[in-house]
Amino acid sequence: MKKRYNWTPYWLILPSVIYLALFFAWPMVQALTLSVWDNTARLRLHAEASTRSAIAGSLPRGTPIEVLERQGNVLDPDDLGQSNLRTEVWFRIRGETVDGQVIEGWAPETRVRVRSTDATGAPTTGTIRPRIGAAADPLTSLYSEPSIVSEVVGRLEANTTVTIDELTTLELWYLIRGESGGEAIEGWAPSRYVQVYSDNVSGRIDSGDAGELTLRYIQAMINDRFFWPAFWTTLLLMVIIIPVQFVLAIIMALIIQQQLRGSSFFLYVFAIALGVSELAVGIVWYAIFTQNGYLNSILVSLGWLAAPIPYLTADTRYWIIIAIWLAEIWRATAIVMVIVVSGLQAISHEVLEAADLFGANLWKRVRYVILPMLKPSLQVALILRTILALQVFAVVIALSGGDVVTVLANEAYRQYYTLRNVNVAAAYAGLILLLSMFSAIIYLRMVRSHEETQG
Amino acid sequence: MSATGNLASAPVRASDEMLRVRQRALMRHRINQGLVYLLAIAISLWVLVPIWFIASMALTTPATVRTFPKGVLPFIPFSFDTMQFFLNSQGIIPGLINSIVVAIITLVLSTIIAAPAGYAISRYIFPGRDFYRLSILAVRAFPVVILAIPLAVVFINVGIYDSVYSLALMHTALTLPTTVLVIGSVFASIPYELEEAAQVYGCTPLQAFRAVVLPLVAPGIAASAIFTFVMSWNEVFAASILTVRNRTLPAQVLSTLNQSSEPYQFAGAFFMMIPALIFIFIIRRYLFNMWGQISK
Repeated sequence: MKKRYNWTPYWLILPSVIYLALFFAWPMVQALTLSVWDNTARLRLHAEASTRSAIAGSLPRGTPIEVLERQGNVLDPDDLGQSNLRTEVWFRIRGETVDGQVIEGWAPETRVRVRSTDATGAPTTGTIRPRIGAAADPLTSLYSEPSIVSEVVGRLEANTTVTIDELTTLELWYLIRGESGGEAIEGWAPSRYVQVYSDNVSGRIDSGDAGELTLRYIQAMINDRFFWPAFWTTLLLMVIIIPVQFVLAIIMALIIQQQLRGSSFFLYVFAIALGVSELAVGIVWYAIFTQNGYLNSILVSLGWLAAPIPYLTADTRYWIIIAIWLAEIWRATAIVMVIVVSGLQAISHEVLEAADLFGANLWKRVRYVILPMLKPSLQVALILRTILALQVFAVVIALSGGDVVTVLANEAYRQYYTLRNVNVAAAYAGLILLLSMFSAIIYLRMVRSHEETQG
Repeated sequence: MSATGNLASAPVRASDEMLRVRQRALMRHRINQGLVYLLAIAISLWVLVPIWFIASMALTTPATVRTFPKGVLPFIPFSFDTMQFFLNSQGIIPGLINSIVVAIITLVLSTIIAAPAGYAISRYIFPGRDFYRLSILAVRAFPVVILAIPLAVVFINVGIYDSVYSLALMHTALTLPTTVLVIGSVFASIPYELEEAAQVYGCTPLQAFRAVVLPLVAPGIAASAIFTFVMSWNEVFAASILTVRNRTLPAQVLSTLNQSSEPYQFAGAFFMMIPALIFIFIIRRYLFNMWGQISK
């Protein structure tokens, strides 16, 4: 050990710290945020039709509204692809008035019929559209800016030929009025947040631009019909898997410790499952338990069954649980074994020999010498297994299709992948994280006390 | 007094007795040994029989897979048809390539980032070292996979969603803590005195590291890298969340699981197991080094 105090070790651990901050701590915060923060909860209304103008108030998403006025507004070109956008196009045109004067100004696309375009498809010339209806104003106004509230620079007659110099795309803004908390609020909002009905005067707020704390997602999670089955199944699996796994792992570790001839073969076989994919294990046990699978094959061949039993059906949930139980024991006992073996290696031979000398039989040695000395390793393995049990996923999907029997991780996947409900999925992730954090705190305490006892 | 009398008067009987006791002990030892063997073989069967089943399903004709009752004797008839059927299915070869790419990027990234950290925690004592180790342990214990959901949101916003590279970033976060701990224990098993000795003989610290330490730790680091590969190869939850069109092999199999036939599923399961069977065999000597660290 280098005992010199210097900065080197900090430089050495820095990359891993940065990496874990980016891809562990940050997403963890994100998961908790996504599950309680609704970032489109409220729409802020502006006093004027401009993002820079003051906020007049805000309305929650879903509020019915009245549309009072509309106006085009310059659009950030980056926002063009956005959905729900209502746009209008304005042309800067040049044309001759009745008294022979050439004027230049902006007119909306709806007032100009395009007659020719250049090679890129941009309009170059056009004519002013006539207005339909006797009561209508026969002239078309040109504005100094692409907005009907700007100054009128002149007026052109219908069918005047004009050259089109420039075009711009504007987003519609609505002056809307809605009620929130018994109070009427009026203000401007861009079209992308507002849905206007076909009568053109009423509508609702589609989404917001400001966030708000919410329990909606957590409620949605808890009220989901799969939540409680998933929760209890996860706990049930934990309770039935872990004890069997520990007994089996300790037996396996004691066998390895005997240094039998061929022990390296046994070690390999016992450890195989460490590297086997969870999904593959699920399918392997599916091959055993499916209706024309191995279990039925053997039982029918031996004449113990007349006809194959369908195990993995909705009516026989307990068989699915048993299959998951066996699959998980098969898969995850190896890691407990490895931890127990390294714990066993730490027990000095003198202690075991002394116990042997005093005539302790195998059971007594295990019960009174080995188990107490293994306690720290077992505790650590226990917590690790508990947290891993919260993540059981592919085995369950392979054996039950993910519907009949379900677990928390599977629900997170369903919410994200099938239902496209990222926030509820994040709530599941947050729940699993909190349950794990709870276990991890215990885990850390045990590791610490373990290190203290080791001196 | 009586004890001395006994010893003096009956030396022959005493040795007789001892012989019998020894024989009995030997017998008992043999019986015990036999029982231990029986148990070891029983547990081995428990591990191996399911693998046997799936291997015999994968290495036969699809028609045999569908028969009932299935024979316990495997490979009759022996054929690569089922495997071929699986490998020719849509999305499997691209999935295989994606899986290998993700696993290799994960392996490289994770080893490059973890090696210095592992060296630091095994060679230096510095304020914050215990805190760092405990944090790594805590991260190791966390269900990191679940973080795929918020990461998916981040990746969509940044525009790197549904790519093997972003999945490899996630997998690196998953494997990094284990790799740090394992590489730490590999360095810890090489005495620092060796490095010092090399420096006494005129090496610079960097030369000492390259000439003395590196050859000694290389096998251990290789083993850890292989295990990283296997972890990434097996990972299915994050892969299913973070990819849509560029699925890895397990994600591809999972997404089509409900619509696929049994020959496809069984061949897929066996195919996914093959690297584990080979790699765990290669690194079996290092396993305790690796996972033993978790409990220390």
